[in-house]
Amino acid sequence: MSSTRPPGAAAAVPTDCWYALATSAEVDRRLLAVRALGRPVLLFRTQAGGVVALEDRCAHRAYPLSAGALDDDTVRCGLCGFVYDSGGRCVSVPTQPRVPFGAHVAAYPTLERDGLVWAWLGEPGRARLHRVPELPWLTEPGWATVGGTAGIDAGFLLLHENFADVTQVPFVAPEIAPAALADAPPPLEVVVTETTVELGRTFPASPLPGWQAQMLGVADAQGATVQRAFFHSPAVWTDHWDVEHGAGTARMRFTQLVTPVDGRRSHLHWRVSRDFAIDDPAADERMHSMFGDYYERVQAAMETAQAVLDLDGPGREVNVAADVAALRVREIVRGMLADEGQAFARDQNRP
Amino acid sequence: MAETRTTLREHEAELVVASVTAVAGGVRELRLADESGTGLPPWTPGAHVDLVLGDLVRQYSLCGDPTDASSYTVAVLREQESRGGSAFVHEKLAEGSKVTMRGPRNHFPLVSAPSYQFIAGGIGITPLLPMIAEADASGADWHLTYGGRTRGSMAYADLLAGYGDRVTLAPADEVGLLDLAWILGDPGSGTLVYCCGPEPLLAAVDAVCEKAWPPGALHLERFAAKAADAPADGERAFELVLAGSGVTLQVPPDKSVFDVIQDAGISVLGSCHEGICGTCEQAVLEGEVDHRDSVLNESEKAANDAMMVCVSRCLSDRLVLDL
Repeated sequence: MSSTRPPGAAAAVPTDCWYALATSAEVDRRLLAVRALGRPVLLFRTQAGGVVALEDRCAHRAYPLSAGALDDDTVRCGLCGFVYDSGGRCVSVPTQPRVPFGAHVAAYPTLERDGLVWAWLGEPGRARLHRVPELPWLTEPGWATVGGTAGIDAGFLLLHENFADVTQVPFVAPEIAPAALADAPPPLEVVVTETTVELGRTFPASPLPGWQAQMLGVADAQGATVQRAFFHSPAVWTDHWDVEHGAGTARMRFTQLVTPVDGRRSHLHWRVSRDFAIDDPAADERMHSMFGDYYERVQAAMETAQAVLDLDGPGREVNVAADVAALRVREIVRGMLADEGQAFARDQNRP
Repeated sequence: MAETRTTLREHEAELVVASVTAVAGGVRELRLADESGTGLPPWTPGAHVDLVLGDLVRQYSLCGDPTDASSYTVAVLREQESRGGSAFVHEKLAEGSKVTMRGPRNHFPLVSAPSYQFIAGGIGITPLLPMIAEADASGADWHLTYGGRTRGSMAYADLLAGYGDRVTLAPADEVGLLDLAWILGDPGSGTLVYCCGPEPLLAAVDAVCEKAWPPGALHLERFAAKAADAPADGERAFELVLAGSGVTLQVPPDKSVFDVIQDAGISVLGSCHEGICGTCEQAVLEGEVDHRDSVLNESEKAANDAMMVCVSRCLSDRLVLDL
């Protein structure tokens, strides 16, 4: 297979999608500024505990509301003193009794689930017609999770295409891959729907990687690994690794939350969850350092790829059969953009 | 490194009929629940699924709530001249029956627009229901004209009445046939037309839009193949080149492009094999396609850059696909 990367496909970002903008713990009674989909967003928690997401730019002049102050559940601009309520409406200005007609900033629907703050930056009315993927292992008891956050100079689609290319793992990170991967990769099954892509393969029993055998306390054990990977939406990629070893099944969940900062920059929140050695700080440290290294390598590779695209533009690409998952992801994103974009430019802020 | 063998297939799940409801004369609504606990894939308005009904595979639009991860809803009309699918649904399926579902897929997506004209004929209302919910939630200006034989034959008429004067119900025994020239009389800039219903309605809407509406404004969906007969002098053979795979194959008169690709061991998706579901679409690099499907519209066919390999063939001697 060969195809020409569609011009602009890596630059436009689907807006009809729930994106994770922060962790629940990061959003409190302080004003938190984040960037997503080419816009500045202000996050804070109301006195009642709800999460508010507002456009982080005063309607009066170019100034971030996040540089102002939170009074009860209203935000006061640090430059001009305009005050906004949690729905984004301007409720008072310092220089006149009457609030200028129509003064407001955009308010974005939010929801909190699995320890994450999700926001909908598309047409607000459509938010309730779309789901947020369920990631129960992030907060359920019986799991231990380590993670980190990286600002990556690469577009969200490059990241997803990388996650879709499971054949890269032995090249990018030979020490974490199952031994069986190096010489006899098992068949790869790709399962598609309108909005999702799933990959699966089963590795025959082979010696567990040293770190895993050690954490499981089953040195020299053989383990058959079932790997499944899911593209849920442009915001979420997850990988499931279930290792059946002599003493049971050890489960790992890799959660990659991708939030496009704009068309060529992304925020990656990565989480590695496991259901073994859960009360073991040394295991936490080991996992964090091992997979932190892995995501750093992914970051470096993707930034290099983005730099090539920036410098020389999209080019003709040769694909192999194993790329079918990455190509389906691209097709889904292209379809989302077509459904949103062809029409009426509701969204003036699109990068 | 050894070869990684890759197979591609559509999502498939065994669902359980959780409820059966009569929603109009001859129309049964089925709620199909996922009992595996893994959850059903998300879909968007206009999507459909395959249901495996005994030896048959039939396509039905999803007409429930897109945020429901535990069940899908379809509504099925008992066709007078059933090819077996609707009879199976009406006679064999009951609460507790198990049904294999494939998909969802969507070849009738709702493109964002400031305004819409929705036109439904009979059971063609099903894909339009979630579209209407989305258009309404988006704050778009929209109108639905819904025709049917009689008021009692029109599924979801009560639910739609809740939208007030955005909806015009037009039972033929009360008001006659739809006045399409009037309904489509104002090709407003940016307005899109979405139509689903029986073939004569689709053909009539197509004809009106062809004359008066901008290209691309009309979106329609067929659930029965348009008649596309083989040429009188018989089918021809041609050469098939799969550019990405680097193989050259021969398509004999009695085999489809799809079968030839599959026989060569190359992974390709397919479902209805009648040119109506759109699953097997492939990009065309070279060759004059003889389109026989009911998925692509006239301008998409003329573009000659995609084809449904289950039924369409080639008028030139060589067909090159991006596969």
